[in-house]
Amino acid sequence: MTTDVQTLTVVGTETSRTRRHIISVVSHVLLVGASILMLYPLLWMLASTFRPENEIFSSSSLWPSSFSIDSYIRGWNGLRVSFGTFFLNSFVIAILCVAGNVLACSMTAFAFARLKFRGRNFWFALMLMTLMLPYHVTLIPQYVLFLNLGWVNTFLPLIVPKFLASDAFFIFLMVQFFRGIPRELDEAAMMDGCSAWRIYWKVMMPLSLPVLATAAIFTFIWTWDDFLGPLIYLNEMRQYTVQLGLRTFVDSTGESDFGGMLAMSVLTIVPVFLFFLFFQRLLIEGIATTGMKR
Amino acid sequence: MTARSMETGVSAAGRAVGTQGVWARIWQQDGPGYLFLLPWFIGFFGLTVGPMLTSLYLSFTNFDLLTTPDWIGASNYVRMFTADPKFAAAMRVTFFFVLFSVPLKLAFALGVAMLLNRGLKGLPLYRAIFYLPSLIGASVAIAILWRQLFSGDGLVNQFLANFGIDGPSWISNPRYSLWTLIILSIWQFGSPMIIFLAGLRQIPQDMYEAASLDGASKWRQFWKITLPLLTPVVFFNAIVQTIEAFKSFTPAFVISGGTGQPINSTLFYTLYLYQEAFGFFRMGYASALAWFLLVMIAAFTAFSFLTSKYWVHYDD
Repeated sequence: MTTDVQTLTVVGTETSRTRRHIISVVSHVLLVGASILMLYPLLWMLASTFRPENEIFSSSSLWPSSFSIDSYIRGWNGLRVSFGTFFLNSFVIAILCVAGNVLACSMTAFAFARLKFRGRNFWFALMLMTLMLPYHVTLIPQYVLFLNLGWVNTFLPLIVPKFLASDAFFIFLMVQFFRGIPRELDEAAMMDGCSAWRIYWKVMMPLSLPVLATAAIFTFIWTWDDFLGPLIYLNEMRQYTVQLGLRTFVDSTGESDFGGMLAMSVLTIVPVFLFFLFFQRLLIEGIATTGMKR
Repeated sequence: MTARSMETGVSAAGRAVGTQGVWARIWQQDGPGYLFLLPWFIGFFGLTVGPMLTSLYLSFTNFDLLTTPDWIGASNYVRMFTADPKFAAAMRVTFFFVLFSVPLKLAFALGVAMLLNRGLKGLPLYRAIFYLPSLIGASVAIAILWRQLFSGDGLVNQFLANFGIDGPSWISNPRYSLWTLIILSIWQFGSPMIIFLAGLRQIPQDMYEAASLDGASKWRQFWKITLPLLTPVVFFNAIVQTIEAFKSFTPAFVISGGTGQPINSTLFYTLYLYQEAFGFFRMGYASALAWFLLVMIAAFTAFSFLTSKYWVHYDD
């Protein structure tokens, strides 16, 4: 789109056109080179998982000489508990976190963006301040709290905070989106006697699917990749997430079973990669818009 | 303020029930807002404010999770600054990491964003390729990959061997180990790049055309138009990336096996905090570390905002 405008406006002399052509070729060469450099490690990892074990260290090519899925089979059962359990745990935690974040953050954002009540600006300012807060400063007392509640070694410390709108980032994201929805819509509903809850649920939510989807996908990916939370709260191997499982794999068999370790690494990336493949636009727009807000 | 009644009609409804007393009116006006905020309030006080104050208190105690904490005054902080070589090492490592990874990452992000913004064909594809590492970079899997890439017989050394260079084991050499983590951070330049791209798009093209007509070189246009107009985005990216860099944990943990070795060369601040809290259960000392981290981040943020009026250009 912008290409056409730019090229049209600079219909200059012949030399400047050649010059532009050269610059464009050079740019493409640079970008292709950078792309290869960026992707090579990932592709190499993928290729290595299909190689026989003894070939992994000796080959830097991206095409295995022979295909075998032994690494995946060995890796899947490489620990006392199979990776199937870790995947199941990670999915359960991630999906519940998504539900919590989408529900609680949107309720909070709705109150800040649309409802009128005393002290709103004050609480909103406090909420914004928590955006910058490093979680380390609450980590230890939270741990003590969850320990006293008997929640250590359960998924609860990882999930419950999401239902309490603890991710200020998503509240902020949703407030920005809600503010862009025309007020006439909820005013009309208000005139018709709709309660705040009905306006939230029947008017705002259906209109906010893009931002809800963005929040859901980011929550899924960040929960999936979270390492410190599970590391602190989950001690039983049966409850491990994929990240903890991988790390245990490295510590116990990593040096001896390289193929298995890389194969499991690839598998843990697959769900995130699928989100990337199918929802790339939403993710990129989500990032671009948060960055543009002052 | 005057828009309140018009905006929600709540006051009109409030007037209707006025006879039921002042409480009913307050409920009518403020009730829904506070009800919607209820989950957030529980979280805010129960999981943020309460724990913050608790950890501030704990930082002045010798809490070890098992026995009741004893008040020991500021001795945790005194020990931190005077008698803890590991703390000093963690500070050095973290600051080195922040100072090199953030500017390099942002420079890369801006450079590639400017290349992409020239209206090249295939922009969505390039953007996607460059963004992918940011999305998966924080995972354990990538840390494992990195450990392999930079190990003694890893991919990097295999590549260098083609030129007859016999590379060291980058991961286990204290001179290079931190650099492998800095490279890992730069590799994830995609998300600031996307924000830069969005910012570049907002710069009006006619400014460049006017500048070209006046004979300004591309170099001059970059310094006089692009960069000044982009400073709000640079500002945002710099703050976000710096805070992220301060909080970086997983790569260092996985690559060093949770130790911060060799010779504490990858002992990130957060890794040291984790060791103290959950390795040695010195929760009081770890709380002091956490509060000092908060102070550093707050000081950095405040400093950025205070100086921003001298270098961040807002067009209004």
